[in-house]
Amino acid sequence: MAQAPKLRLHNLHLAQARRSVLENVSGEFSRGAVTALIGANGAGKSTLVQAMMGELRPLAGKVECSAPKARRAWLPQQLALDLSFPMSVEELVMTGSWPSHGALKGYCAAHYRRGREIMARLGISTVAHRPLGELSGGQRQRALIGRTLMQEAELLLLDEPFANVDSETVDILIPIIRQMADDGATIIVVLHDMDHLHRLADAVLLLRDGGGHWLAPNEVAAPSYLPTGGRHAGPA
Amino acid sequence: MLDLLNAWLIAPFDYGFMRRAVVGGLALSLAAPPLGVFLVLRGMSLIGDAMAHAILPGVALGFLVAGFSLPMMSLGGVLFGLAVALLAGAVSKMGGQREDAAMASFFIISLAAGVMLISLGGSSVDLTHVLFGSILAINSTALLLIAAISSAIVVTLAVIFRALVVECLDPLFLRGQSRRSGWVHSVFLGLLVLNLTAGFQTLGTLMAVGLMMLPATSARFWSKRLEGLIGIAVMLAMLSSTGGLLLSFHLDLPSGPSIILLAGAGYFFSALFGRYHSLAARWRRKVTPLVRD
Repeated sequence: MAQAPKLRLHNLHLAQARRSVLENVSGEFSRGAVTALIGANGAGKSTLVQAMMGELRPLAGKVECSAPKARRAWLPQQLALDLSFPMSVEELVMTGSWPSHGALKGYCAAHYRRGREIMARLGISTVAHRPLGELSGGQRQRALIGRTLMQEAELLLLDEPFANVDSETVDILIPIIRQMADDGATIIVVLHDMDHLHRLADAVLLLRDGGGHWLAPNEVAAPSYLPTGGRHAGPA
Repeated sequence: MLDLLNAWLIAPFDYGFMRRAVVGGLALSLAAPPLGVFLVLRGMSLIGDAMAHAILPGVALGFLVAGFSLPMMSLGGVLFGLAVALLAGAVSKMGGQREDAAMASFFIISLAAGVMLISLGGSSVDLTHVLFGSILAINSTALLLIAAISSAIVVTLAVIFRALVVECLDPLFLRGQSRRSGWVHSVFLGLLVLNLTAGFQTLGTLMAVGLMMLPATSARFWSKRLEGLIGIAVMLAMLSSTGGLLLSFHLDLPSGPSIILLAGAGYFFSALFGRYHSLAARWRRKVTPLVRD
């Protein structure tokens, strides 16, 4: 963790539809650390994620990211994906190799081998050739994480990765995400569940009242720090 | 029996114009359905229609400048179609309006402008011809143009295929990968315009989109795989364009509507009896209990 942070926020001021959402959010996301992003609905979590991925231009301040674009992965909430799309799990996972490989060339045996290893780690080898639409929410989420593993992401933003996902998937994904961090990735996770937070996070950025508050994970259990109106964010 | 088959299926192609028409139809059937499949997958099924209207003023301008010359009309159509696509994209980007709303506004303006231009310059017969096409008018130049455009579309599609697939499923992922990802969408729209201009000679501007969409929507009832969708759609398009031409020849019907109506019949058949999501599939599901799980 001694290296320079992959992502820095400098006095960010963000707005959606001409309404200020966040002001003066600053901070660093260290390499090899998992940061949980929490806050009540409407506190600006998704807005901040958008800004961090360069999809939303800040009104003031800036996002400084040292990871190359192809090594940044953003896993949006599941609903953003078209599930009727005719693509198999393996095909989805393999698209993660594009940054190193390009979109035009075919895959070689080594790529397929790595894809299969990743799917085995995630416990989705048996559904490798099933279309995405036939999977459970948990399997689909594992396939998407598989794509980011294939991508060897240096910066990973996960937007509520455990929403609508079975506990078996959570138990598989948490150690894998931890491992990615230990391998040097910078990981930011939007979370609602305090149990997941305590199992996963090294640091916490709480968004409340239009500002960001940095906390240690063990401080979050104290009710006074809970997001206002965050009924879903009670201690586990 | 053989005589009858010969008279119905083979003899019409003794005529040169029928031979050219069928080759043109087959070329279009190879290029149009894959585009349609992607449009359906992206939930943009109506964009094809909008683009078909958008090329009309260009075709009309070409007609006014050079008379009934297919290359000039096609060039005008391509240029105008691309301009409308770009403008609609720019308007939606700047104004935050959804692209389909901008497209809808532009296409209706284009349609009116196109009809106005044609009426100013020619007779109502010309208008009917541009709107609804005519196989009689396919000469060797037109055929070469159609074949060249279709080949270019198939090759380009093969090159951008994988990027296009991911753009359909998860545009964010593609945008994350490369700054040039916007090109994929633009190239795709460009192919769409090209294909429609190639199609308007046989089918007319308004109906060229039918050979693109109907086989693609029908294929959804038969396959759940992308390769399957494209293969089936191409097959359906080839069957309907050849069958439609024969029907129009024997029954003295206009060619464009015959082809599209045959494709439409294929759509209804698929919706009733297809393997997935069709009425028959729903009925089958009711009577067959699940064995596993």
